Amino acid sequence: MQNFPPPHPYLGDARSFVPFGVGYIELAEGVRVESRLTENDAGRLKIGMQMELVIETFGRDADGNDVVTFAFKPTGK
Amino acid sequence: MDIAIIGIGLYPFGRHEGVSAIEMGVGAANTALKDAGLQWTDMHLACAGSLEVLQPDTMNKHLGLTGIPFTTLYNGCATGGNLMLTTANALAAGVGDVGIAIGLDKHPRGAFSVGDTLESIGLGQWYGETGLALNPQFFAMKTQRYMHDHGITEETLHRTAQKAFQNGSVTETAWRRKALDYDEIANAPMVCDPLRKYHFCNPSEGAAAVVMCRADVAKRYTSNPIYLRADVFKTQTYGSFETLSPATPVRDAPSPVVRASAAAYEMAGIGPEDVDVAQVQDTEVGHEIMHMAENGFCKDGEQNAWIAEGATKIGGRLPINTDGGLLANGEPIGASGIRQVYEVCLQLRGDAGTHQVPNNPKVGYTQVYGFPGVSCVTVLST
Repeated sequence: MQNFPPPHPYLGDARSFVPFGVGYIELAEGVRVESRLTENDAGRLKIGMQMELVIETFGRDADGNDVVTFAFKPTGK
Repeated sequence: MDIAIIGIGLYPFGRHEGVSAIEMGVGAANTALKDAGLQWTDMHLACAGSLEVLQPDTMNKHLGLTGIPFTTLYNGCATGGNLMLTTANALAAGVGDVGIAIGLDKHPRGAFSVGDTLESIGLGQWYGETGLALNPQFFAMKTQRYMHDHGITEETLHRTAQKAFQNGSVTETAWRRKALDYDEIANAPMVCDPLRKYHFCNPSEGAAAVVMCRADVAKRYTSNPIYLRADVFKTQTYGSFETLSPATPVRDAPSPVVRASAAAYEMAGIGPEDVDVAQVQDTEVGHEIMHMAENGFCKDGEQNAWIAEGATKIGGRLPINTDGGLLANGEPIGASGIRQVYEVCLQLRGDAGTHQVPNNPKVGYTQVYGFPGVSCVTVLST
């Protein structure tokens, strides 16, 4: 769990920071990818649970555009 | 290895406002030279390393412009062990009889930054921009996985931190001198699950130095040399799980610590059961616990029982991080590995005073580990 705002060069807004999860997702293709997780309650994350790819907005740039990245969220299955 | 340590010096780790890293390095070097009964002019070669100091060899302006080869290197948290290895290799190769290794650093407060550009560490800028380029995340994930796989309990994490601050409280040179209650540690704010505030070390400032010579001439300088029986430097192989990795293969490979440790035992001709006192990289408690197994002292999962019986305390069956380790001393990266060696030399000489391990320890062990998958292990003996 990332519980404090990451330092430079993080593009998210430190003032409105919301903790986020971090994990390695094992893909069927045979690689583990590090990723932000949409779930930020450690108690609801389990090693081995099924995840799916989503696009997450985590900040806004100087021109007001959304800053997006890939993230994974539990499938609930 | 036929190398001896004949002088040790420490510029105690902590916060030293108004004192530069160079000044601390010079201080540690002068203390080590005095301990050896030698002068800078007696040195045939020198090695120094630092993250924050661009050219640590400029210490020669203070130590003396004697014209000797003065090598600088930086290998992350493995810098200290590699400074000693490079010095030892030069002595063994016949460059000279006597040399000095000096580690120094002075970091700003807070977690280590990856700097302005991730390109300088071989990564894309996006990795930092999206909030993934943080060491504590890695420490937490690796620890989480290890707890899951081997049943390590949160109590074992807390007790490991408690031991570190207890040792710091009886070590005059330590930065954190206050022992902490179990509850204070267990209830401290969560930084990255499962690691809390007192589970982590902090970047700090300080320096450490060792004067080394060929073993066959050691008795010329001192009656109690400490012999460097092994010093091994290893880097990661494909599949080992390391910090700041956007992706890793599914195939697992052993940590460089495992390989450095095995090679060091082989070089020294001993096994983990022969070690009387050890210093291991405890950037946070998770890594001290994992390193107990990676260095061969116990099997994966046995740490719960070891910690519960106090086996790694001063007076336990294998005292670990007897000066409080990184938790109680912080980590000036360039100096940290030599601080471990300084502490082991004190222990083997019987000079550790209030934090002395009982029963005349004869064999000591040090191990550093860090980005980008590097480790150095030394074996030392009387």
